[in-house]
Parts: sequence; structure tokens; C-alpha cells
Amino acid sequence: MKSIEYNEQLERDVLAALSKPSPWYWVALVVCALLFVTGLSLWLYQILKGMGVSGLNNPVGWGTYITDFVFWVGIAHSGTLISAILFLFRAKFRNAFNRSAEAMTVFAVMTAGLFPLIHLGRTWFFYWLFPYPNQRGLWVNFKSPLVWDVFAVSTYFTISLIFWYTGLVPDIAIVRRYATGFRKKIYSIFSLGWTGSLRQWWHYNRLYVFLAAFATPLVISVHSVVSWDFAMSIIPGWHTTIFAPYFVAGAIFSGTGMVITLVVPMRKIFRLEKLITINHFEKIAQTLLFTSLIVTYSYIVEFGLAFYGHHQFEAAHFTYRLLGDYQVLYWIMLFGNSLLPLTLFVRKLRRSIVYLFIVSIFVNIGMWLERFVIIVTSLAKDFDPYAWGLYKPSVVEIGITLGSFGMFFMFFLIFVKVLPVLSVTEIKEEAAHE
Amino acid sequence: MNEQFVFGEKHEFLQKLKDLVKGGISPKKINVFTPYPVHEVEEILKVPTSPLRFFTLLGALSGLFFGAWFTAWTSLDWPLIGGGKPIVSVPAFVIVTFELTILFGGVISFLGFLILSKLPSPKRIGTPVEHGNQFVIEIQSEGK
Repeated sequence: MKSIEYNEQLERDVLAALSKPSPWYWVALVVCALLFVTGLSLWLYQILKGMGVSGLNNPVGWGTYITDFVFWVGIAHSGTLISAILFLFRAKFRNAFNRSAEAMTVFAVMTAGLFPLIHLGRTWFFYWLFPYPNQRGLWVNFKSPLVWDVFAVSTYFTISLIFWYTGLVPDIAIVRRYATGFRKKIYSIFSLGWTGSLRQWWHYNRLYVFLAAFATPLVISVHSVVSWDFAMSIIPGWHTTIFAPYFVAGAIFSGTGMVITLVVPMRKIFRLEKLITINHFEKIAQTLLFTSLIVTYSYIVEFGLAFYGHHQFEAAHFTYRLLGDYQVLYWIMLFGNSLLPLTLFVRKLRRSIVYLFIVSIFVNIGMWLERFVIIVTSLAKDFDPYAWGLYKPSVVEIGITLGSFGMFFMFFLIFVKVLPVLSVTEIKEEAAHE
Repeated sequence: MNEQFVFGEKHEFLQKLKDLVKGGISPKKINVFTPYPVHEVEEILKVPTSPLRFFTLLGALSGLFFGAWFTAWTSLDWPLIGGGKPIVSVPAFVIVTFELTILFGGVISFLGFLILSKLPSPKRIGTPVEHGNQFVIEIQSEGK
């Protein structure tokens, strides 16, 4: 086929997703928006009533909200992995997933960023986290991992947003060509007046490489910082050197799972089977399997460190995790994160989209539970038996968690109707090479 | 009046571009529009490496120095000993410094890109230039 025909067909295929939405789309959007609004109202209720409406207690002062925070930051990570790291490694299967993965990153960081605020008893003082000279000339404590978090997460959001937008500019220029009326004006503004001239591509290519090169170490640093929120303390089960790589691997694993969860229905609904093929899915399934093995290895090392360390509190803690009050959650986690992904060694299962989708759901559940177990079990039973206590999420906490899913999926649904879900320019470039 | 050549296929376009450069037309007078980045163009027209890297370097260095200075200065401004650690705890401050290096580096690179490629261009936002999927070579005439 002549390349110009191929390219025009490609544009039509991808932009078809932007046409008038079906009734099911509206149903999905309304459900997500309702969940989101419910979550917001529950947060308002919590602000008015106080933190007592959550299940948080003494000793378990960190619970579902912090779990949600770590979970959503983790989801964000594989967006950058798929986009930036695979770009630097010139992995070709990247362009089937990169746009949705980057969008996922931006939305997941937005969702994650709300949770420290929700977790704050006095949300209206959130600006105390930022270094500004207050009346007494007192600054934030840069030795605190929580302040590192503020810098890590806000940097991550900014860079992810720039990276996503940079990739979008030439594609928005394509949408601009097809759009009419008021929509054309909006797309024209966001395309910045892109013409595709030599000068623009020349600087653009450099920018993209630099941003990818910045984003890659950033991803690793951000989740390391999140893990240090825990590892810098002396609580058994948290105070361990493996935490940073363990969390980074877990983040990439959970994010890869979420990419599959999002892309499978997106591909089906928008009939993108030609552009996102089974081969692409097999590659992403291999990534999922590989990261699952790293995560499983981390679980084993964690136990190894505890039992070889001759530290009675560590050993007691890990026995508790495996056989204590929260054992059911731990075993579900092991099933979802370590056992079920092993079936992906079978090529036939790896190439079954339905099966992959089911595995990805279990991975999402498993990774949420992993964070919950790490956070809650360590706090529930630390050193002094007199200070032990259990925690159960309250209705408000569960509602806000569901609301965060509503928010994330709502943004994603809006994204697929407003912006091209695949990087048209990159697919054209790829096609020209073949 | 500028002279324009329009092509549907990449190889035809690259051939013409080579011929033009061989024919003695200064690469500075040639402008091309492509639907996706074509790296061969930069080779044919002997375009140097983009100066964007200086923005990136400057941004990253400014973030590095700002982060190192800011964390140390604010700690010294109101010295409080916490956890028996030194007032200026370099290992802890490295993290914030690192994040600021990336933040400044990324943001200033992006601004550098906008400045260098003269975007956003209000004129082109008002009346967009569309070449579709065609490859265009434009030669500036002598008069200009």
C-alpha cells in the first residue's frame, strides 16, 4: 500500500474513537462520575466530622488512605516505564500502549496526590507541607521522608504531564485537521500552531529523548521515596533495606496490570485490533510475568532477611503476616501476585486476551492488598504487646477508595473521547521503517 | 515567491532533497514539512545537534544548585536538631536535590523547546498550516 493511503487509513482508524460516544459509554461515565461524587461527599463528611469516621486508631494510624496512596502512585509508574524506558531501549511494542499508559500515569498521580490530603486530619493546612517562610521563619524538615514525598510526587506529576503533552502535540495537530467548528479552535490552541517543519521536529526529537532520560531515574526515585516513608522508621516489617527496589518492582508490576485492565476494553470498544495486536499483548504479558517474578523474589528475600537476621521482632512479625489476623489477605495477595502470573509461562494463556484481563484484575487486587498488609500488620503488632491493636476500614474509607477508582476511570473515559489513544505519529514513523 | 515541491512518498521526497542540495542550493534556504520525524533530512541538510541540550544542562544544574543550597540554607536558618542528626544532613538532602534537578531540568527543557521552535505561534493557531501526510520542500527565493 502507498504510505500516504496507509497513513490516512491509520488516522481514520485511531480518530474513529473520538466520534460520537455510544450509550454504553455514557452509562460507564455516569457510573464513574457518581462514584467520584460519592467519594467526594464522604471526604466532605470526614472533614466536617473529623478523622473519627475512619477506622484509624491507635496503634494503627495509617490504613486504607495510605494504602490507596501507595497503590495509585504504583499504578502511575508503569506508565512511565512503558513510555520512557521502552523508548530509550527502542522497544517497538511500546507504541501500542504508550499513550494510554502516559495518560494513566497523569491520572493516577492526580488520584494518589489526593490521599495524603484526605489522610490529613486538618486538610485545610495542607500548605504546611510546602517550604514557604511562615511568620516565625520556620521551614519544613528536609530530613523527613514525608517532605521528600511532597517533592517526589509533585515533580513526578509535572514531568509526567510535560512528557505526555509533548508526545501529544503532533497528534493534536492531526486531530485539528479533522475537527470542525469550535472543537477545531480548541485543538488548534493545544497544538500550539504545530506545522511539522524541520525546525520543530529537530528540537522536538531532542526534547523527547531528554524527557525520557529524566523520567526514567525519576520513576525509580519516586517509588523509592514512597518506600522510605516506611523503611526510615524502626517498625518491624518496614525497617529493611530491600524496601526501595521491592516497591519499585511492585509499582511497575501493578501498573503493567492496570495497563492491561484499561487497554483490553479500550481495544475492543474502539476496534483497534489492527493496531494493538495479540503480539503486543504477549509482550506486555511477558513484562507482567517478569515483574511478578521480581516481586515474588522480594517476598522471599523479605522472609529470608527476617529469619536469618536473628531479630526476634522481625521474625515474629513475619510469622504474624503469614499466619496472623490478616493472613487471608496475605494469601490472596500471594495468589494474585505470585502464583497466578506464573501461568503466563504458557504461551497459549499469554496470548489469550480474556485470560490476561482476568490475571490483570487479580494483580490489581493483589497489589492493593500487598500495601494494605505491609502497612496494617506492621502497625497492628509492633514491639510492645500492651500497644497492639487491630484495624478495619470503615464505610467512609471504603467509599473514598471506591471514589478514587471512579475518579481515575472517569478521567480515563474522558481522555479516550478527547485525545487520540494511540500515538499516530509514532506508528507512522514505525510503518515507514518497515 | 517561495518554490514548493510536494511528495506523497518519503523516498521520492528524500531523493529530491538530495538532488537539490547537490544542485547547489544552500541548505539554509530549504525548509521541509513532514508528517513524522524523518532523520535522514537532518543528515542531508547537515543540521547540527539541537541547541536544546544547553537548556537541559542549564536547567538541571540550576535545579541541582538550588536544591543543595535551599535545603542547607533553610536548615541553618532555624537550626533544630532532630533525631540527633547533623543540621545539614547531606544524605537526606540529596533526595530533595535530586528531585529538583529533574524538575528544573525537565521544565526548562520544555520551555527551551518552545522558544527554539517558536511555539506557541499565535499566527499558526489562528490559521493552521496543514500539509496532511505529504512531504513538502520549500525553497526560499533570492529576494528574501
